[in-house]
Order: sequence, then structure tokens, then C-alpha cells
Amino acid sequence: MSNPIPPSSSKPSPRKTTSTPPQKHTLFTPPIIYPLALLLRLTLLLYGTYHDAHSALKYTDIDYQVFTDAARFTAAGGSPYDRATYRYTPLLAWLLRPTVWPGWFAFGKVVFAVADVAAGWLLARTLVAHRGLREATALRYASVWLLNPMVANISTRGSSEGLLGFLTALLVHLVLGGASSSHGRGTGRMGMGVGVGRVVAAGIVLGVGVHVKIYPFVYGVSVLLVLGQHQTQHQNQQNQNQNQKQQQHQKGLGLRLRKELTPARLTFTTTALLTFLALNALMYHHYAWPFLHHTFLHHLTRVDHRHNFSVYASLLYDSAATAASTSTSTTSTTGAIAMRFSIERWAFLPQLLLSVLVIPLALARKSLPGTMLAQTFAFVAFNKVCTSQYFLWYLIFLPLYLPDSSFVRRPRLGVGALGAWVVAQALWLQQGYNLEFLGRSTFVPGLFVASLGFFAVNVWILGVIVQDVGALGAELR
Amino acid sequence: MNRRTTYLQDPSTPFDPAQARLLPQRLEIRTLHSAKQERLTVPVELLLSGTDDGGWDAERFTVRWASGDAAAAAAGAGGAVTPFASRVSGGLHVFLRPGGGQEGVVGEGVRSDAVCRVLKTVFGSEVTKCVDYEKSFTRSDTSSEYQFYSPLASLEGLVDFVREKVCALDTAREEPCRRHARELLAADSLDLAYDSESRNLVVSAFWADAPGGEGWTEDLHAPAAGSKGKMEVGLLGAERTADPEEIKMGGLLGVVGEDEKLKPTLFSFASRHHALPRDATFSVEFPLPTGLHPTMAISLSPAALQPPDATCALHTYLTLPSYLFGDKYQLGTEDPLFLDSHHLVKLLSVTGETDLEAPDWSVSQWGSNWLLELATPPEEQSPEEWNVTIPLHLRYLAPSESGYRSVEVPWPVVFWACAASEEAKMHFNPFDRVDLGWEGLFAPQTTFYQVNPAAEQGRLVEEISVPVLKETGFFNSRTIELGTVLAIVLGSLWVLWKLGAVMRTSGTRRSVESQKKSQ
Repeated sequence: MSNPIPPSSSKPSPRKTTSTPPQKHTLFTPPIIYPLALLLRLTLLLYGTYHDAHSALKYTDIDYQVFTDAARFTAAGGSPYDRATYRYTPLLAWLLRPTVWPGWFAFGKVVFAVADVAAGWLLARTLVAHRGLREATALRYASVWLLNPMVANISTRGSSEGLLGFLTALLVHLVLGGASSSHGRGTGRMGMGVGVGRVVAAGIVLGVGVHVKIYPFVYGVSVLLVLGQHQTQHQNQQNQNQNQKQQQHQKGLGLRLRKELTPARLTFTTTALLTFLALNALMYHHYAWPFLHHTFLHHLTRVDHRHNFSVYASLLYDSAATAASTSTSTTSTTGAIAMRFSIERWAFLPQLLLSVLVIPLALARKSLPGTMLAQTFAFVAFNKVCTSQYFLWYLIFLPLYLPDSSFVRRPRLGVGALGAWVVAQALWLQQGYNLEFLGRSTFVPGLFVASLGFFAVNVWILGVIVQDVGALGAELR
Repeated sequence: MNRRTTYLQDPSTPFDPAQARLLPQRLEIRTLHSAKQERLTVPVELLLSGTDDGGWDAERFTVRWASGDAAAAAAGAGGAVTPFASRVSGGLHVFLRPGGGQEGVVGEGVRSDAVCRVLKTVFGSEVTKCVDYEKSFTRSDTSSEYQFYSPLASLEGLVDFVREKVCALDTAREEPCRRHARELLAADSLDLAYDSESRNLVVSAFWADAPGGEGWTEDLHAPAAGSKGKMEVGLLGAERTADPEEIKMGGLLGVVGEDEKLKPTLFSFASRHHALPRDATFSVEFPLPTGLHPTMAISLSPAALQPPDATCALHTYLTLPSYLFGDKYQLGTEDPLFLDSHHLVKLLSVTGETDLEAPDWSVSQWGSNWLLELATPPEEQSPEEWNVTIPLHLRYLAPSESGYRSVEVPWPVVFWACAASEEAKMHFNPFDRVDLGWEGLFAPQTTFYQVNPAAEQGRLVEEISVPVLKETGFFNSRTIELGTVLAIVLGSLWVLWKLGAVMRTSGTRRSVESQKKSQ
């Protein structure tokens, strides 16, 4: 009864049902899906090359020009930060060094595309190994990423988000993939018994991820919670079995803390930190201050006033312009202005409270990918800057979440959510177009209200995700 | 103080000797239709005695102001042979070599804020975005010269300054001085040049025609007895010579108070700057809608596309105030598809503020300069009009009441640059003009042919309406602030509530479970 169609919109179309056993003659087999995913990317890559050779309006993303320029600077013995707006790790410029060779310009796009196909492969593996899905069903969900034209488009235009998708998929796979649940449908106790090798590898992957794009640090919390789960849960149960709550209370904080400090958690934290620090030390050694400034500090001090999807955009524009005008007109009367209360300085609070603290604490023990999806969703929705590239950060988790999603169980809800997400974006984009290209002053109410609307849709979807992931664990017990 | 007044008449304009009568102490000029250049050479000590400004010892300091008046451009250089052909974009251009040996040495050179203070004192408070030269001026990689621009439309500030401060220095001559200063209001361009070697300030003003259309009627007086000054006068016409690089000038010269009569003269020199025929024109517009990414379109007439000789290449030099900028990576590309579609050949030089993201209020430099080589149509093709387009971008500006802000962009200069012969000695030209911003970007032996700006009327300035945040009405700062905070708070509470529900259910389930187990 379910008719699995590869998603054709920019967002995966929700499946009708998960419980249907896959049909025998399914298209969703590795020899079909992976070549198809590669073919899709190859086609777009070739089309892009052809298009760019014949049109002044380029298919290739501006960011890719930045990467390849930076690679050229490093190849010439310079710093990638000699290229303005290069705000990435030097690793990327080094990785793309071959693009400097004649005829190798598309090398980076190939790397990004291969990385995102590999990410899709990891998703399918995780679904099979951890979630216990059949190969075909797993591939169907993985196709939400693998055959997603938006993903293929972004990678072949030369945006590096595919690499990040690979890193996050690998992190999930390393933490979860080993704990195969031979007893069919997933477990609430994933992560128990993860081998030391995998823990170390996961730590390294997280360290690299944070070094590359900072935001993956939020995953550290949920992985930590998942990693220690086996022991602590076991002990908790023992405690509860003995019904010695009083006694437990008296054991004090110190002992409880010590119980939380499991070897797996310590290993993970140490390797992640060491990887992160080692990479930073290496890059600092090579490029010193510009590296620190452009990859990290820039994001702290950045004041991106250009309109973007963020709910904060109008406020940031207004307050920055006001601050600038008051500071120039009354330079003599210092003090009063410096004390001015500015809300935007506190924007990180709700963002981090949700994505680093409350969401992992409430959900991590129920589903790691579900938690990571919710964390990323919250991080992006509550961020001070938000562009469409950021949507890829959470898109990678969709195949792992959809099997348990009420968006799939209740197609109307799913289609509604997708529709609301697309429409809210379209409304914003229309206002943006009117501003950017027609020169109409659409900051208020247009862009402001549209960004509020998009934020509302995002928060609503996040609520459903939280509910779904929360229900997961409860169901299993 | 030396004064040199040159009247440049078109050879076709009739001249009657009675129009210029030299008397022992003065020269009477009557209804003389001509262009005029006044040049004053003032020892700088003479000026500093009045304006007590410490920390002022620049190695070289040049100011170029052009009115950007469309009518003057049409009446001026266009067509005629003239040594006054060179152009800069309308507005105030400042070039500074601070000197003082090593950088950062205190005591010599120019105090970094002194320049802006002087500019504001002399030219008025309309000189915006000038704080100090380290912050506000731009600097090219290749020279130690700092550059500044302000879209100053009129010399009223300067005229006030001269009338009140400078004329007061010489009480005997105060009235004629004040009258003379007023003439500056009609000037089409003004140059100030100072260098520490000569310690002279040279002030030159140029009028394409006498204001009022009646010709020049004025008396040029000999300097007061005992003063060291000199009053030179020339009534000249210019002609082409067999050598296209040269200009030949002939007419009458004299020194008022010394010579008994004007002496006929004929001389020629290699000229760096030349005018193109009257029909070699360009015009500039920003096609609507400009949005946040205006495109500057330069239309060139067929005559403007004829190279003066085989060594020439067509160029444009843009002066963009900070709110408008180019993307140096976009314009600096070597992609032939992009360049051909815009009729560009190459971006040759960029100086100044090229940050791609900063809003205007966080940019301290005045703006940027761009030298681009332009493409010309292939030979077999001779279009009626040839359009060059330069994609540009606007910075965010501060909110306004209407939701829009109007900004002004001066027309660029468009010229052919040609290789000059090695032996041409262009600095022998008594009217030579360098330090224009663009000419220094070429080899010294280069001649320039100016394409004439053709505007119907008004000034050679384009206005762009920039959409900004509207600060009045219901959606004011307060609403934005409250709305955002409310959205964040409600959004956070919604997610927290959902999370709380999850915690509660799993909590009850767990306790139910444990109860079951313990039973």
C-alpha cells in the first residue's frame, strides 16, 4: 500500500507508513540507489560545468570560488585567509589543493558529492544495524538524503555542507551502529557496550566536526548522555528495585557524579577535546591570528545585518544602526550609552539552553539521532543568523528520525508541516526578492513578519519532533 | 604671492584688441568670451600666520574639486583643443603624502586628525566621513599616498572661509578680495597643491566660461608696491600640431605693472591630457529597479569608441562613496563570459573599502576607487550605442522615516589611455596636471584622451534610492524589539512545555514500571 517515491521536493516527502513490509520487487536496493545517487550528482556536476562554460550567471556557488581562491593562496605558500570572507578551517583549503591544478577545478565538488553519498550510505547502515530495518526500508529512508535534489544541488554547486553531513552521520554511526539490536525495532539503550575503538573514533569525529563548523559541539552533550547509559541505567534500576531512595539521596552528589564519569564518557571527552585542540594548535601554528579570528572569533563578534531567515535579523539591523548613530552623535557623553541594555547580546541564552541543555537531558536517552535532530533544529531556529545552507545541518538526521515520526504516521500532519515550512520560506523569499531586486523597503512589516512566521513554523515542527522522540523511549519500556 | 591668469579663447571666437587694454597698473578685460584659469602661488608661511594649526607639515597635499556641472562639461573641454582637458568625478578629492619620514613618528608630518580638521574648516561641514586620515582615507598598495573623496557639490564653504579668514589678512584689499572670492562659486574646478619642497600653496581655479554669458569684464591689478608678488596674464588660443601629442598655443602674454604692452607669443608642448571631439560622449545611469545591487550602465557614443591611435585602450575610473561598492572578486574575474556580457576587459586597480558585508555605519573609509579597462565593439560592428555595465552593491544604511534613503553617486571619468613617445616631456607643459587619482596608475609616458560626459541637465551625479528599515509607524524599533522578544520567549516556552511533557510521561512510566517490578 505504501508507494515509495523518491522525494522530488526540496524537502523529503513523508512516507505514508512505516510498518508496511517492503515489497519484493523494490527499487530500493543498493545496486540501484547508490548508482542513482551518484548519477544524480554526476549529472548535476556535468550540467554545472557546461552551464558555467556558457553562461555569465554561474551554477557554481560563490563559496566555492572562495574555497578555490583560498586553495590557490595556500598552494602559493600564502594563507587561505588572504581571501576575504574565507571563514573556514584551513583543512578545507588544503583538501581542495588539487583544484589549483589545471582541469581539476571540480575536484572539490566531487569530494563534497562523494562525502554526501557516503553520508547517505552511513545513514542506511545505521538504520539497518541499529534500527533493525530491512535493507530496502533503510534505503528508502536514506533516499530522503541520497536522492534529495536539494542535497545533490548544494554539493555539486560546491558548498561544503556535504562534508559536515558525512561527519555527523559518521558520529551517529560510530556511537549507535555498533550496538546492533538483533531483537528487531530499535532500543532505548543504544550506545551500551560501544567498543573503545568506536568511542575514540567518535571523539575524533566530533573534534574534527567542531573544528570545522563549531555547531556540532552541541552533539557532545547528547553523545555523552548516551554513552554512559548502560551502566547508569543499570545502577539506577538496581537502586529503584531496592527501593532505597532515601539511601541514594544520602550518598551525596560526589558519588553520583563519580558514577556518571564512566570510562567511555571520559575517553570520548578526552579524544574529542584533544582532536579539537590539536587541530586548532596546528592551524594556529600555520596561520596564527587570522585563523583564530576568521574561523572562531568572527562568529562571536559578527554583526550580520544583511537580511536572512533569522528571527533576530530586523532587531539586529535596527539596534546596530541605532547604536552606531548614537555613538557618533554623542561621542562626548560616554557611559550612558555603554550601559544600554541590548537584547541581542542575550540571544545565545535561549538557543544554548534548548540545544545544549534541556533537549539532550530530556531526550538523549530515548534516541540519539532524534535528539541530535531536535538540537540542530533548535540551534538553527534560534540562531542570530540563518541561511538556507543551515537547513542541511538538520536534513541529515531526517532519515534516522522519519521511521518514528508522526509526520509519517499521520501523513496530513507531515504534508502540513512540509507545506507550512515551504510556504513560510516562500513568503519570506518573496519579501526578500522585493527588497533585494526591486528595491522596495520591505524590512517592516514584510521581512520582519515573515521571519516571525517562519520561526513559528520551525518552533511548531520542533515541538512535534520533541514529542515524537519523547514518545519513543516511553513506547519501548 | 604670484598670480597667473590665463584666458583661453576658441580660435573661432572673434577678438578685438580693445577687449584687453594694458594700463601701467592694471589690465582691463572687457566682455571677453573665453575659458579662464586663475592660478595663485602663495608661500605657505603667509597662510599659516593666520590659521594657527600645529602638526601640519605634509610632504605633499593636493585637493581636486570638480563641480560635476553638466552644462559646464558640455560647454567646456568638449571639442576644442585645450590643455585643460583632464577631468575628475564631481566632488572633492584629496591626495595626501603625510611625510615625516618613518610612519608613526610623532612631531613631523601631519597629525592624523589635522587634515580632516583643515578640510572641514576650509570646505565646510559638508565634508563628511572625515575623521582622520589613518581611518578615513584610503591608501593604495603601490604608493604611499592617501586618498579621500567627499561628494561636495558647491564651494560655498570655501568661499565663506576665504571671505572671512583669508581676505581679512590684507585689510587694504579686503573688498576686492571678497568680490573675487565670490567668483569661485561659479568655478567648474578648483585645485589646491602644496608640497614641502617649495613650501608653496598653488591654487588654481577654472571656469569653462564667464558666469552670466556676457564674457569676462574685470580689471587685473598689479601687486601693491613693495610686495614680492607678480601678476602674469595670458590671452591664448590653442591649436593642434602635426604631432598629435602636442598642443600649440599662441596669443598675448604680459606682466601687469612691468610690461608696457602685451607681447605676442607662440609655443608648443607635449600634453598629457587631450580632449576628444564633441561627439565623443558617454552617459551614465543606473537602470531601475536598482534594488540592493545597482548596475552602473555607461553608454558610449560611436565617436567615443574610435581609439585616438593603435596603442590606446578605453578605461573608466570609478569613485564610489562607501555606501556603494564593487565585489573585487566578481569584477576581478578572468571569466570571459562574465567580462564579455558586461563589455569589460579587466579590473586593473582597486583601492579603498571593499568589505563585502559591512553596513555603511561600520565602514570608516570614505569609499573606493576602481580602474577598469573597457571593451570596444569588434571592428566589423559599429553599433549606434555601446553599453558597458558594472554590477555594484549597496551597503545597509541607517533606518529612516520613509523607509528609503537617497544617495548620490558621481559619474566616473572615461578616457582612452595611449602610449606616449619616450621623448615626450610632458612636465614642460605650463598647464600640466597630475595627482588626479587615475593618471598615476599608468606609466609616466602615457597620454589621456577624455570622453566627454553628456548629460541633459543638472549635475553629473546619479541618485539611487536605497531601501532601509522604516522607523516610523506601527512597526518601529519598539515593536520590533517586543515582537522579537515575545517570539523567542513564546517559542522557548512552547518547546520547554513539550520537553516537560516528555519528562513527565517518561517519569510516570518509570515509576509505574518500578512499582510493578517491586511488587
